Amino acid sequence: MAANDITVKLDGVSKSFGEFTAVKHLSLGVRAGRVFGLLGPNGAGKTTTIRMIVNITAPDSGSIHVFGQKIDSQIQDRIGYLPEERGLYRRMRIVDQLRFFAELKNVRGKMVEQKIDEWLARVKLSEWKNKRSMELSKGMQQKIQFVTSVIHDPDLLILDEPFSGLDPINVELLKEVVLDLKRAGKTIIFSTHQMEVAEKICDDICLLNRSQKVLEGSLREIKRSFGRNSVAVRCEGGDGVLDDPALVSKLVRHADEAQALLAEGADAQVLLKRLIASGAVIGKFEMVEPSLNDIFITKVTESA
Amino acid sequence: MSKFLAVVKREYIQRVRAKMFIVTTVLLPVVMSLFGIVPVVILNIDAGSPMRVAVIDQTGKMYQHLNEALVSEESEQQNANTGRMGRSRPFGNFILEPIDPNQSPERIRTELEQRLHSRSLDGYVLIPPDFLEHGQAEFFNRNPGDVLSTRMLESALNRAVREQRLIDARVDTRTREELFKPVDLQAVKVGATGQERDSGGSFALVFGIGFVMYLSILMYGQVILGAVIEEKETRIAEILFSSVKPFPLMMGKLVGVSLVALTQITIWGLAFSTFALYGVNLLASRGIGTSLPRIPFSHYVYFGLFFLLGYFIYATIYALVGSMVTTAQEGGQLAMPIILILVVSFYLFFPVSRSPDSTFSFWVSMIPFSAPVAMLVRIVTQTPPFWQIALSLLIGFGSVLVIMWIASRVYRVGMLMYGKRASIPEAWRWARQA
Repeated sequence: MAANDITVKLDGVSKSFGEFTAVKHLSLGVRAGRVFGLLGPNGAGKTTTIRMIVNITAPDSGSIHVFGQKIDSQIQDRIGYLPEERGLYRRMRIVDQLRFFAELKNVRGKMVEQKIDEWLARVKLSEWKNKRSMELSKGMQQKIQFVTSVIHDPDLLILDEPFSGLDPINVELLKEVVLDLKRAGKTIIFSTHQMEVAEKICDDICLLNRSQKVLEGSLREIKRSFGRNSVAVRCEGGDGVLDDPALVSKLVRHADEAQALLAEGADAQVLLKRLIASGAVIGKFEMVEPSLNDIFITKVTESA
Repeated sequence: MSKFLAVVKREYIQRVRAKMFIVTTVLLPVVMSLFGIVPVVILNIDAGSPMRVAVIDQTGKMYQHLNEALVSEESEQQNANTGRMGRSRPFGNFILEPIDPNQSPERIRTELEQRLHSRSLDGYVLIPPDFLEHGQAEFFNRNPGDVLSTRMLESALNRAVREQRLIDARVDTRTREELFKPVDLQAVKVGATGQERDSGGSFALVFGIGFVMYLSILMYGQVILGAVIEEKETRIAEILFSSVKPFPLMMGKLVGVSLVALTQITIWGLAFSTFALYGVNLLASRGIGTSLPRIPFSHYVYFGLFFLLGYFIYATIYALVGSMVTTAQEGGQLAMPIILILVVSFYLFFPVSRSPDSTFSFWVSMIPFSAPVAMLVRIVTQTPPFWQIALSLLIGFGSVLVIMWIASRVYRVGMLMYGKRASIPEAWRWARQA
């Protein structure tokens, strides 16, 4: 990996607040033009890591480089940041807010007006341009908050739980926007604890737990390394078989199907035969990759 | 710098555009002028017809004096009023009517009471024979609530009694006039250029400036507090901090809101000046000359500078309070002591004006919180050496920057810590790395 391919590089970064260590000796690299998932349970140190990247707070030790340089205010202007704690000025018109946030990134002039119109159209809120944000619904406000983080056309976009609280249609809309930005060559850091979302849009992931990194790499490789040791089953009956610890180490039941993690040394074929022998009616029996959620839970419980 | 200006612009435009701002800015001068005009109009209406008062003078000596006293009382009152307001207030006119005290008291009573009822009389005064010794008389009227008329009668009776007592003591007319001649005390300032007459005008100005300062802090302190808390309450702070450092953000807020305050005060000031000018013209048209106090130009510059200092030093404290708390209510409680300091420093006006050159006066004119009023008082009384004025300004505006700097650190630490109070070393480290 050439150095200029790395947009964000952390080397041995630690940060503590008094007694509490938020991030402990963290090193990671975010590759340019990819979506990087910074994952972990609540309190793992994701937000602190991000705040250090955007220069809101400084690490106690270690170094952080963005675009190959130590962070300064010029570099800060090339970053777009949507924090988890976010809001809008209640009494300010949407267009004024967006212009203000662009000005804070040293972007002004005609281009901004054009960008505002483009983005409002993109998130389907053009007709709300001159309304005050207090008149908007919560979902609309969230989309505007997203726009505030991209209005200055940043090369690095950092999104902390961008989809929380959005309805599925808007999640889909913003997901498309994020993937478009990636296609346009932007680097995106995506922080969440919602694994289903991360699974769909991340190229690379870094898993944090208790202020330390437990896993890093490309999502595809990570999944491959975990192997196909899960079976998605939809069947009627056969409960006794699925509950047999010699065959299935873990069983997660969803609405109409179940996911069975095979026990050490257990064979999927044996499981299938046993199910048939028990008289179960099988609708689906498929070897699957472990979901990111499974990997996450496995890793987090391992490191605990 | 451009980010700082962006913050200033936002604070200013958002606030000036608000309906509340426009309404209060326009409404206050209107209300003020109403307060100026309405009482005058009402008092003029009330004047109506003079009060008809019957006098039963059982001493037999008082009636004449009372009548004279009332006439001179009225003319003096009118002079005082024209001097102050430029309008005559012909209230409290009396028409006296002597009643023969030699009739039987019951008959007089019933007769007068009848006339009171039929409204051919407004009241009567009973002056008993021993009035000159005990000084007690009674005023019977339909409306004892008319304090104004009662006071006026009382004061006229006082005069009349004094007059009669002097006559009884065989003091001649000329001596009596001499005795009652009023005095006129003029305050004369002794300055470096010799004596110059200064009828308290510059004092009034300093007092006025102190008062405007006090008012603007009362009005805008909370606004600044609210402005600083706004980003915490709306949860925008973190977005902002990824673009702009806390210090330019805080300074931008302070300056933006202050420009709004200055805009409003200027508009009010202009409205007030117009009103005052109208009054002066009115006085001039009645032949009463008024002139602005003669004040050197440099003093006007000092007035401006120290007003700004006074405003900013207190405004920054509000900003500091805002940086520490998370809601406006919390801030309101914490801000109470600020008002107290403000009031105390305002009252320093009096000790400093009595001894403007004392060590005490020197120190209070150096302490930023009391400097604005104290130094201005010193300037208009015994102008201190220039270095003292410059030093006071330097300390003051320096303190503004230092307080804002501290406020921005506290703000940032507070945001990152989610309400946890930061230790001093922590705050210091953040301070250095910015």
